[in-house]
Amino acid sequence: MKYAYFPGCSIHTTAREYGVSSQAVSKVLGIELVEIPDWNCCGAMDAVYAYNPLLSISLSARNLALAEKMKMDIVTLCSACFFTLSRANKLLHEDSELKGKVDKLLTESGLQYSGEVKVRHYLDVLLNDVGLENISKNVKVKLDGLKVAPYYGCMLIRPPNVVNFDDPEHPTSLDKIVEAIGGKNVDYMYKTRCCGASLGLTEADVMMGMTKDLLLEAKNSNADCIVVPCPLCHLNMDAKQKSIESTFDVKIGIPIVFFTQLMGVAFGISPKELALDKNCVSTDKLFKQLHA
Amino acid sequence: MKANNKHAAANDRHVITAQMLDKTFLAEVMKMKGGQDVQDCIQCGVCAGSCFASWAMDFTPMQIVRMLHLGMKETVLSSSTIWVCASCYTCATRCPRGLDIPMIMSGLKNIAIKENIPAKIQIKPKFHKSFADIVQKYGRIHEPELFLKISNKTAPKTMMQDAVFGLTLLRKGKLKLKAPKVEQKAQWSSLFKNASKEGAQ
Repeated sequence: MKYAYFPGCSIHTTAREYGVSSQAVSKVLGIELVEIPDWNCCGAMDAVYAYNPLLSISLSARNLALAEKMKMDIVTLCSACFFTLSRANKLLHEDSELKGKVDKLLTESGLQYSGEVKVRHYLDVLLNDVGLENISKNVKVKLDGLKVAPYYGCMLIRPPNVVNFDDPEHPTSLDKIVEAIGGKNVDYMYKTRCCGASLGLTEADVMMGMTKDLLLEAKNSNADCIVVPCPLCHLNMDAKQKSIESTFDVKIGIPIVFFTQLMGVAFGISPKELALDKNCVSTDKLFKQLHA
Repeated sequence: MKANNKHAAANDRHVITAQMLDKTFLAEVMKMKGGQDVQDCIQCGVCAGSCFASWAMDFTPMQIVRMLHLGMKETVLSSSTIWVCASCYTCATRCPRGLDIPMIMSGLKNIAIKENIPAKIQIKPKFHKSFADIVQKYGRIHEPELFLKISNKTAPKTMMQDAVFGLTLLRKGKLKLKAPKVEQKAQWSSLFKNASKEGAQ
């Protein structure tokens, strides 16, 4: 299983543990993630689009063109990149006028994109190419009793006419992975509720209000940790958790782990290879009970 | 929180006068991506009820769409709503008429940026421009530079929070001070420059 890997900017910086743990898990499962040479920013959802829509689509298109040269489908870890690249791909398929404009821009820079590349999320690959059975087979450490709150967020599952491998209202893909590695999913309300995304940078109070609600909901459902599939959700829930606690004068203290880190723990991969020390809310206590 | 006051303020503005209407605005909106469907809205309110950020907005998404119908350009473009929308797509997923509301909001942000309309969340236009500028330079985002550019240096409280946040990430080795670099420099510059120019028209 070989894919054109699009890490996205945060995988090398603020979400290092996600990139590192995905590579480790991929090695166990026989997935080869071949990084797209010289990839660029995907267009970042609304960040570039609101500034200049055509520019945003063109940034995505360059990545699609680079992947097409590799003759592989794109796999990405980041939900926002997943959405942005998928949206550009869809618009280029549907809108011939836009396609004409973007083709011209690509040609002027010595690139071309005919529209053959599919954009997929790593979670989709795990479920549909690797399969739950193969994932279960590799479990070496029992996660017995670990109560997990799967958090889906937004762009992994919405909008269904752009990203379409799970149900937008009642998603189950993360739940299935957690079950396959022996964790126990807790049922809680806010698993598809928005964390506030990039509002964390521009209107932090609003983001913190939104994230606080879902952290507390998971905590009150007796979850030991929250698993996430998105670097930005992780940043808001993990790195900002202390600020949220002090702003709202609440005690939360719930570890936020990437689902690939949890899989790695179940596969018996060392904490170092999963970069567990990079999570801001400590995971020490969480996994100590497991190794014991 | 202050959200209650924001809603109260919005409710006071229920009188619509002729001066508030711009007859050309609806046509302009309908030319944007997503805007072509704006007249399909039946004002059912599912978007307003679904929005997780509506408590921080001065108008709900449903109200914004209705104001687009009426041509209330200035009111819409100076609302906080267009900047608070986080593009989570809950509204669009549930809309029975298939409106792509987040894309409409992005389009409205784009008009507000182009026309230099003062934003309710002051830093937002700068956020979008800085993001694009940094990507142009390096091909990818360089977080420390973005943080510095948009950090509000006039508000000590948020500045403190930003500093603590930055330090937390630095200590964890999650901020790279060295900027990323695009390899195919000429190809990148020409694509970025041409797309910016073409898209700005």
